[in-house]
Amino acid sequence: MLKLAYQYMRYYKSQTVAIFFSIMLTAALMSGIGSLMYSSRKNDVENSRTLYGDWHYWIKTEQDADSKETDGTAVETDAAAGFHLEQSAKAKIMGELSEPYQIQFLSVDESYRGMLCREIIEGREPEAADEIAADNYTLSNLGFEGSIGDTLELGGERYVLTGIVKSKWNSGADEMEIFVGEGFALEDLPAEEPGSQKIYLKFNEDEKLYEQLEAFRQKYHIPGDVVEANDGLTMYLGGEKPDSIYEIIKFALTDERGNFTYIILKLQSEYNLAFNGMIVLLGVFSLFIIYSVFNISVSKRKAEYAVLETLGIGGGIIGGTLVLELWMLFLAGYPLGCLLGNGVLRMCYQRLAGVFGNKVIGGGKTAVSITDRIAVQEGAEQGRKVLESFGLSGFHVSWGVMFTGFILLFLGLAAAGFLTVRAVQRHTLRETMGGDVSFFKGRRKIYSRRGVNLANAVVQKFMFSNKRRAAGIILSLSVGGCIFLCTTYMVENLKIHAEMSLKSDDGLGSEYRISIQSDCLADTIPESAVNEMEKIPGLAQMHASKYTLGELSIEKERLSWKEYFDEANKDSYFAEHYGGICVDKGNAAYGIKYGVYGYDTKMIDDLEDFLLEGEIREEDLEKGNKVIAVANMDGQGNYDFYGIHPGDMVTVRVPKELSCPPEVLKFDSKASDYVEKEYEVAALVSRPLAKEDNFLCVNGWEGSNIQSLIMTNRQMEENYGITDYSIVNASPEYGADTRAVSGRMLKAVKDVPKAVFRDYAAAIEAQKNYLRQQQLFFYGIAVILLVISLFHIMNSMNYSILARRREYGIIRAMGITDRGFYRMILRTGILYGILADVFICVIYQFVLFGLMEYYLQHVVQFLHLTAEVPAGVLVLIMVMNVAVSAAAVIIPARKIAAGEIVREIGG
Amino acid sequence: MNILEFSHIEKIYGAKENQVRALCDINLRIKEGEFAAIVGTSGSGKSTLLNLAGGLDKPTKGKILVKGKEIDSLTRKELTIFRRRNIGFVFQNYSLMPVLNVYDNVALPVTFDRGRHVNHKYIEELLRELGIWEKRKKYPGELSGGQQQRVAIARALANKPAILLADEPTGNLDSATTVEVIGLLKESCRRYSQTILMVTHNEAIAQTCDRIIHIEDGRVARPRTAKDPVKDPARDPAGSNGTRHAFPGKGGDCVC
Repeated sequence: MLKLAYQYMRYYKSQTVAIFFSIMLTAALMSGIGSLMYSSRKNDVENSRTLYGDWHYWIKTEQDADSKETDGTAVETDAAAGFHLEQSAKAKIMGELSEPYQIQFLSVDESYRGMLCREIIEGREPEAADEIAADNYTLSNLGFEGSIGDTLELGGERYVLTGIVKSKWNSGADEMEIFVGEGFALEDLPAEEPGSQKIYLKFNEDEKLYEQLEAFRQKYHIPGDVVEANDGLTMYLGGEKPDSIYEIIKFALTDERGNFTYIILKLQSEYNLAFNGMIVLLGVFSLFIIYSVFNISVSKRKAEYAVLETLGIGGGIIGGTLVLELWMLFLAGYPLGCLLGNGVLRMCYQRLAGVFGNKVIGGGKTAVSITDRIAVQEGAEQGRKVLESFGLSGFHVSWGVMFTGFILLFLGLAAAGFLTVRAVQRHTLRETMGGDVSFFKGRRKIYSRRGVNLANAVVQKFMFSNKRRAAGIILSLSVGGCIFLCTTYMVENLKIHAEMSLKSDDGLGSEYRISIQSDCLADTIPESAVNEMEKIPGLAQMHASKYTLGELSIEKERLSWKEYFDEANKDSYFAEHYGGICVDKGNAAYGIKYGVYGYDTKMIDDLEDFLLEGEIREEDLEKGNKVIAVANMDGQGNYDFYGIHPGDMVTVRVPKELSCPPEVLKFDSKASDYVEKEYEVAALVSRPLAKEDNFLCVNGWEGSNIQSLIMTNRQMEENYGITDYSIVNASPEYGADTRAVSGRMLKAVKDVPKAVFRDYAAAIEAQKNYLRQQQLFFYGIAVILLVISLFHIMNSMNYSILARRREYGIIRAMGITDRGFYRMILRTGILYGILADVFICVIYQFVLFGLMEYYLQHVVQFLHLTAEVPAGVLVLIMVMNVAVSAAAVIIPARKIAAGEIVREIGG
Repeated sequence: MNILEFSHIEKIYGAKENQVRALCDINLRIKEGEFAAIVGTSGSGKSTLLNLAGGLDKPTKGKILVKGKEIDSLTRKELTIFRRRNIGFVFQNYSLMPVLNVYDNVALPVTFDRGRHVNHKYIEELLRELGIWEKRKKYPGELSGGQQQRVAIARALANKPAILLADEPTGNLDSATTVEVIGLLKESCRRYSQTILMVTHNEAIAQTCDRIIHIEDGRVARPRTAKDPVKDPARDPAGSNGTRHAFPGKGGDCVC
């Protein structure tokens, strides 16, 4: 059997080479992309360690509790109990300050610095009671301009700076931290939670983290509510027990909230669907191509297999021969393909590192939530360096993907072999030996009597006599085009989404942002400071926004978001500061906390890009005193504003004075403390453009739902008497001295209490770079898939033409000229191309477009899918299909024309 | 008048050690209206000679004149057009287009020359004459060997060619059908004043022709007329003496 398989391979050299290359190319594609995704994930894990710290969970304990279990020094690995603790660290909260910023004083142990990436980068650890260490971000915002050894005044006391600590990079970086020694006098400072401490735990990552945590908790009797996970890191390592697939599907089918999107999103979050799904899809694509190429090869020798069967060789042996042949080629081609794919991607990995990284712009998330911190806190230059270092921790070969691909293709090829045998056995031996008899099934028309060109009729008959083969060719002709169209659609929308995300997350995607780091409404940027900033030379644009906190009144029966708000209400910050986000007002209505923003003309105009319903016109807003509402987006990308639409009225209360006592923000003080107004909703939008980050957009609630009502700055003044600003966004002119511009801006707000200046230049640049990488990558993959399917098309067409060698020979013998012959063959190719074009259009318009829209809108959650495939790309694909088909038929046609008629017809 | 002339024709296949001399110094003239049979053993070069006559193949050396035109001097396109207007082919394996029904198979060569202006009356006449009018909508695969060969003959005659080249047209047929087919060819030859050059390895069939050309080892053996007695009993299994036309069928059957 092995010998027979080998002999077949040798005899049908061109087919053997075609199968070998299809195996090699698809293996290269699958293993290469698998490794790229795996590397990106690995790098994300490593980057997350840097960003969020190298720890998995922290436990809050009481410092003075005399228990070894909670001391933090006693925790140790206990394999018998079911956990392997690799490292632990301890941080004692020695005190807190609320003025001029929220600052914590921490005393930490040695391992803390390594695990939380807070090493002393200059100087030494503080030891004495009046010694401190802090990071540059804290020091610069405190207005400290000295160096190590200089003193700094805090809370009325003077402290000596002994060291500079590496800046904290995670998203909670607004909390400023000052490090002190053990001897720090706690009673000197007011503290909200004196005496508490955090123990950071790092378990063995080769085992399931949630199981180890559970074992750890059981051993030390730790209640679940004092444990917090390092989500930024554990999301990659499985910090929580995933729901079973059965449970996910059961919920989707049985619960009224469950649907298909739920399954997709759940599989994505619990089982990394994007990665595993892509590998499976590539595997299926590979199998399709290999099977198709193999099938063509086998169809050339079906008659021979029938002869073998006639000679008494069973189907099992023939199938075995086929499978052996495939496996031999597979064993040679697969490793070579893996080598090729991994080798090529390793070489260009540095350029593509950000493609699958978590730092890419994601739906419903703040685009610069991670990266901006680095840039902001380390300074633009250093931030850029840090960003550049991301994704460069190396290319990792994904052995798992290669192994999965190997098994998938190995078994798939065996199935392909036996399927082929079954296809042969479906006909009688006589039929198989005799060739194609499918023409009889056609209509018995006499074409020549109807004035039909017989050459055309012959072409059509050849093309469609075997409908399965015709469908296969049209399908493979269309695969590349469809993939390219989908890629283009995605990339076009990705560009728009990225641009809109930047706009909505930091306000117009501007490089500079000044905001107030305070949860007191009275802390604002004075109008005079904004007017001064406007005069700064080198600023291309500047937009100042006003803000106040409000409460929107919603009838109880309208609120379909109760579960969401119940979750928000549980947040202790909201409970403490506002008495909850959504509060039962007892009058058949809920009061929901809303940010009320005032935008300038340009920002109002730019909201048009985010428009869901209604009309946005500044003069209309002011004339009718209307508002724009930001709709809530659910986890599946659907928008809703409690069933309220443009034209409907909403009632909003805001504190009468910005300098109100904190209690007023709970909106349960006396009515005279508030201004209550009714507004007509002019429009619904999906995102605000500028957003605060001290009131509602805190503690991870700054995601897709930012409860906001927007009006013009003038309306804010007229309705509430607010003249000062809360947020300023600005961008320098192209080529301007950015250092000088940012310096002037800082100077302008130097005397504004709690004003924080942020430079997003590096973060924006990084995002744009990632976007370019993504575009390049997706187009690259589409082109590779296109090349593979072109290879397949060439092979299929070549076969379909050469299989009719004899018939074409007869036609030539009957007196068709070479030109007529080429024209006839070309007609075949062009017809295939046109049919493929029609197929692409239909399948794209009615199936793929819908799928892509669904995927981008509900799964990836792109903002507004407004981009279409450019007409040029569509035309290019159409023309390319026809050109490729024509080229694919002309090559074998030339071969036939060059041959002698006598040989062709076997006469 | 000679319609077909071979002078010093040589045909060599392959190269170097694989060289095969199929024809060697062939000199032959076929008169207009003649029904000539080319006979010889397998591999003697009969079919090669026929293919060269039809311009399906090119000689290595020598000149072939068809209707006074040297076909080797024609361009590919000229030769193709010349062939379809002047020469009809009938092959042993019928060489019909499996995707076209009987009618369209016959009309196919006409459409190459005249586009849609097909003389349907003539095609109907041909099909009726050949007894396959009722089968006109059938596909070749649905016909018997004899019926397929009739279709092939009809196709060859469709353009009213001056020369009909038939390569073992009865090779796959039973004896009764063989008689019919040869009769049809002779009738066509008479009715349309056609010249027929037919390859056969059946001496008895050759006896029915005006002239027999013997090819042996790529050379014309000796010009003979059909009146010459057959001397080789192996080639005359029916034992005919040349005065009777015997057509051996498959398996040694003999029909007179």
